[in-house]
Amino acid sequence: MPSCLSWGKRLVRGVLWTTAIWLGVVGLAPAAEEKPAEAPPPVSFYRQVRPLLQRSCSGCHQPAKAGGKLLLTNYEVAARGGEQGALWTAGKPDESLLIEVVTGDPPSMPQNAPPLTPEQVALLRRWIAEGAKNDTPASVEDTISAERPPVYTSAPLISALAWSPDGQLLAVSGFREILLHKADGSGLVGRLVGRSQSITSLQFSPDGKLLAATGGNPSLFGEVQFWNVAEKKLERSATLGVDTLFGGRFSPDGSLFACGGADNSARILRVADAQQLLKFDAHADYVINTAFSVDGKHMITVSRDRSMKLSIVETGQFVDNITSITPGALKGGLQALARHPTKDELLCGGADGEPKLYKMIRTQARQIGDDFNRIRGYQGMAGRIFAVDFNADGSKFVAGSSSGLAGQARIYSTEDGKLLHELPGSTRGIFSVVFAPDGKHVATGGFDGKVRIYNAETGALDKELVPVEITPAVAGK
Amino acid sequence: MRCVVAWQLALWGSLWVSALWGSAVSAADAPARPEITGLKFFPEKLELNGIRDTRRVLVSGQTASGDLIDLTAEAQLQVEGTAIELQPDGYVAPKQAGEARLLISAGGRQGALPVVVKDAQSSPVSFIREVQPALSKVGCNQGTCHGAQDGKNGFKLSLRGYDAEFDYLALVDDLVGRRFNRSVPSQSLMLLKPTQGVPHVGGFLFSEDSRYYRLLEQWIAEGCQFDTATRVSRLEVFPQNPVIDREGRKLQQTVIAHFPDGTTRDVTRDAVFSSSNFNVATVTNTSTNSGMVETLRRGETAILVRYEGAYAVNQVTVQGDRTGFEWQPSHENNDIDTLVNQKLRKIKTLPSELCTDAEFLRRVSIDLTGLPPTTEQVKAFLADTRPTEVKRNEKIDELLDSSEYVDHWTLKWSDLLLSNRKFITEKGVWAYRNWIRSAIAGNRPYNEWVSELLTANGSTFQNPAANYYRISREPAAVMENFTQVFLGTRFSCNKCHDHPFERWTQGQYYQLAAYFSGVGRKPGDVPGDEVIYPLRAPQAVVNPRSNQAVPAKFPYDHASAGGVDSHADLRQQLAQWLTSKDNPYFATSLVNRYWSYLLGRGIIDPVDDIRSSNPPSNAELLKALTDDFVAKGFDTKHLLRTIARSATYQRSHAANRWNEDDTENFSHFLPRRLTAEQLFDAIMTAAGSPVSIPGVPPGFRATQLPDPNIQIGFLDMFGRPAREIPCECERAADVSLSQTLNLINGPTVSEAIIHPQGLISRLRDAKVDNHALVGEIYLSVLNRPPTEEELNQGVGFLVGVERIEGAQDLMWALMNSPAFLFNR
Repeated sequence: MPSCLSWGKRLVRGVLWTTAIWLGVVGLAPAAEEKPAEAPPPVSFYRQVRPLLQRSCSGCHQPAKAGGKLLLTNYEVAARGGEQGALWTAGKPDESLLIEVVTGDPPSMPQNAPPLTPEQVALLRRWIAEGAKNDTPASVEDTISAERPPVYTSAPLISALAWSPDGQLLAVSGFREILLHKADGSGLVGRLVGRSQSITSLQFSPDGKLLAATGGNPSLFGEVQFWNVAEKKLERSATLGVDTLFGGRFSPDGSLFACGGADNSARILRVADAQQLLKFDAHADYVINTAFSVDGKHMITVSRDRSMKLSIVETGQFVDNITSITPGALKGGLQALARHPTKDELLCGGADGEPKLYKMIRTQARQIGDDFNRIRGYQGMAGRIFAVDFNADGSKFVAGSSSGLAGQARIYSTEDGKLLHELPGSTRGIFSVVFAPDGKHVATGGFDGKVRIYNAETGALDKELVPVEITPAVAGK
Repeated sequence: MRCVVAWQLALWGSLWVSALWGSAVSAADAPARPEITGLKFFPEKLELNGIRDTRRVLVSGQTASGDLIDLTAEAQLQVEGTAIELQPDGYVAPKQAGEARLLISAGGRQGALPVVVKDAQSSPVSFIREVQPALSKVGCNQGTCHGAQDGKNGFKLSLRGYDAEFDYLALVDDLVGRRFNRSVPSQSLMLLKPTQGVPHVGGFLFSEDSRYYRLLEQWIAEGCQFDTATRVSRLEVFPQNPVIDREGRKLQQTVIAHFPDGTTRDVTRDAVFSSSNFNVATVTNTSTNSGMVETLRRGETAILVRYEGAYAVNQVTVQGDRTGFEWQPSHENNDIDTLVNQKLRKIKTLPSELCTDAEFLRRVSIDLTGLPPTTEQVKAFLADTRPTEVKRNEKIDELLDSSEYVDHWTLKWSDLLLSNRKFITEKGVWAYRNWIRSAIAGNRPYNEWVSELLTANGSTFQNPAANYYRISREPAAVMENFTQVFLGTRFSCNKCHDHPFERWTQGQYYQLAAYFSGVGRKPGDVPGDEVIYPLRAPQAVVNPRSNQAVPAKFPYDHASAGGVDSHADLRQQLAQWLTSKDNPYFATSLVNRYWSYLLGRGIIDPVDDIRSSNPPSNAELLKALTDDFVAKGFDTKHLLRTIARSATYQRSHAANRWNEDDTENFSHFLPRRLTAEQLFDAIMTAAGSPVSIPGVPPGFRATQLPDPNIQIGFLDMFGRPAREIPCECERAADVSLSQTLNLINGPTVSEAIIHPQGLISRLRDAKVDNHALVGEIYLSVLNRPPTEEELNQGVGFLVGVERIEGAQDLMWALMNSPAFLFNR
């Protein structure tokens, strides 16, 4: 109680402070601006103008929106101007559109946001007056290359795995790269360093000569990479859209490549020149995975919009919803997909945690509410299913799931639905699973960044490896 | 803890006065700042417990008169010792365990504050305690962004972060870890987006050198760990309920979060602030300037503070320039007036005079019976020479015992209980109406008849109370109706997510709905009848989030909740819990609702949206009325009598200089348009025209109609509710052009005026002179005699036109005047 009644005392003590103590007090109010002794250094586009554009303009003037057909995400695109023409005339701020739109009363830009401050406008004026120069460092963030591959302080999560057709190689996703490991886990064979930060899927071509990856940088670009496996070189790549691509798959003859994307579309590329042949836009949300029919004439796509759709490869024409379209029949999105190796049957998984097998072609007229194509479901898994893969003859499949804090990997028997093995080891989510071509092993990867190789006959864990080299974090960073 | 109490006591009733610097009022207009005689700090002592336990000290100066001035923004701080450091925004952060002092200088005075750092060990960033609040503060999870029903641009978070596990999945698990990057945390999408490192439609939210950026970056580098830290249990805001002297002042608030383990944090920077009346005062809400109140004009506003599912309200009063104001003792008929005047005095507002006897008679007749007085009643009341209070009280009692009183309140409750033949057949509507009428006529205690309603079983024709379950047919639908009508709260808001402005959770929605899971419905023996019966096995109420059946559980306990018979039928348990005198919402919501019917505005308004973020304008008044209502055995007639007898109810609608801007403290009467039924019946009464509504017996007034399915376009135009939702808002009180045109040109008014048995026809037959003719029309329409000027004007008007047509025109004109269309 005394401490509560001590106002009086405290005040007395406050008055007793001598002024001497207060010499050198650091004020919290902003210090008066110091007068520069000489002319200020020229305005830097990269350090001063770009952040200003980033904060006030590029929300709308970006590839995904392109307001006024103008992009302001870097110097190169900004210099191109938009539908109203060039944004600036170097050296002449008064004749520059950029200055016109951010001044005025009220300024027309930025829309629905506070106008730029006089200091910010002055900065832009001075930058144009000084010649509107670009001083963006050549490789400002891109210090990574094949010669200087990524350095890891912790294991990156594993989003994709692929087993080479000859059974020798296991391709594992990394950050900005694909790691080629010996399939028995005995060593790293190569590092395929590319441009995409995120590798979302990996698949070898049927002849094993190419390794295809989908990925990109979230919210910036999507990319398909075709690597020459023997030479460990990027053979071709295609940059597509403004966000990552997902779920790449070769056609049975290896001539075509399908993938989904964050732009709600699926695409088919010609492998020979990485040219996009068609774009399929029937989905209403991210397309996460793709497959071809046995004869390669149909494409199957699954999406976060809860549907599995069938389309014709040659024309891109939508044929059917393979899953039920009844509202509520499916809960949450679909993200895992694999076609039976020999039959037009499709194994899918998603938010409801239940692997399900569907036949591709509907043989009976649709009745509202039916789920006619469904062949069977399998015992549900914890969380959402992220990956499924068949063995070579389709008699078994492996599935991986994640509930955020936990995950499961399992091997099921396709025909009778029996749960064959619960694969041990991982305590967190499983994002990728793959069967070895000979069917004797499966590999899994996920949140914890470890590849686990199992004996597919017994379900026993054969090998556990971290696919990258970990460099301890530098102190002070 | 004790220090906190002392601070509250110290500030209770003290006035926050000018801090001129930074003031919006120019220095020339404003008085010079009084001399600061001493500094006060809040808290008086800092104790820091953990590396991220950072706190700010509120600095205020005290003047000789005892008023306080917020000096936090201008205070100069200096650290003495090595245990702590100052952050750029003035927050004190721990560096190492030990003791230190903070030297504070402001307003020409100095002081020092002891600081103890108990623990400064580094610890991992907590998703629950650090990441989630950051997402809430910068608005990622707000309803217009990723908290929207479908999220935004493929990314969805739970609304305002009520579901931490869902949000963790969205950030870590969705699309295979798309949103974080353990290898290079700064390349994580969840950091690139808010810094506009990649295009973000939501704009720039924080910079790479901000506190939030560093927290999120560290959380990602530490591996995006989930934790089970408990959420905050309550919030405290300081200074509490400040009264600020003028416009253009600034006042920094501090928000302290209390956690179940007894620890506290200063969460001012992370709490989300909003002002209920931003014309009176705004509040800053960025991560770098948070919780600073800036006053704009005289009035009151509630500053709503939200932090991780906990809510607090700080009522800010801005006195404004009241130079020349002097409190005048005013009429006090009962406790209502004492409490209203107390508040008015605090905010320097003078109540209006009492209204005239004629005004009172019209007002109280319409409010208690839905009908204006007749000419005879007006004459008798005005001729009564007894003291005003005596005759007014007697009139109130007379009206409360009239049959029109029963009609009027039956209509109100038929609205609230959604009595509608669409749901319960025509026969059912009449039966339900009779049941309600008998409850009103017998003045049955409110708790008693509500209990009977909630526990009703049997044939809805024979036991009409059971219609309550015939109208709402699903546990969740009954529950939503139940909470809005009997608790004055809106549980419908927490059906799909936790309530965005109140502590109610989505789980509680289903737990409360489960009390209605045992209601069975089957066809009765008579065609059209339905029987309500208790199911042997209640149906499961499933929370869609967990997909699990939810057991019945009260959303809150009260002193008598322990006495609920847990072996009773679920509905009996609920009725016991609901109608208990200790239930903080049951009696309060009824009292508040009835108050709004008589005063035009609830003490909490809207009356059926009671929540902590919608505080009462006069809490003491509401409590006193509630206590009295409960003490008198839930007697609604007594409640109405008490309100009607108060001087507050009897004030003139004319405002004075000192109360013209008041709309919520009941310093003058608030005029309001007659409701659809009142207006229809008033037109008929004033015109003296017999009422003939198709489908009901002749003489049946609009107020007596059983339900809205008796087609009268006039009533729908004037906002008669369709009785489909239990919201007071279903009855429209607005004024529209079509209404005006209808009153000018429509048949309802003109046919009533020219009716052969109407007042004017009768006066014609009685051959009264022009003076009497004008006088009678005024008495009948406006319920008062004309003034001398009005009389002369009226008589003059009748000369030179066809006399009877002129009289009809005069009546028509008066019916189109606000004095007739409004209750005032």
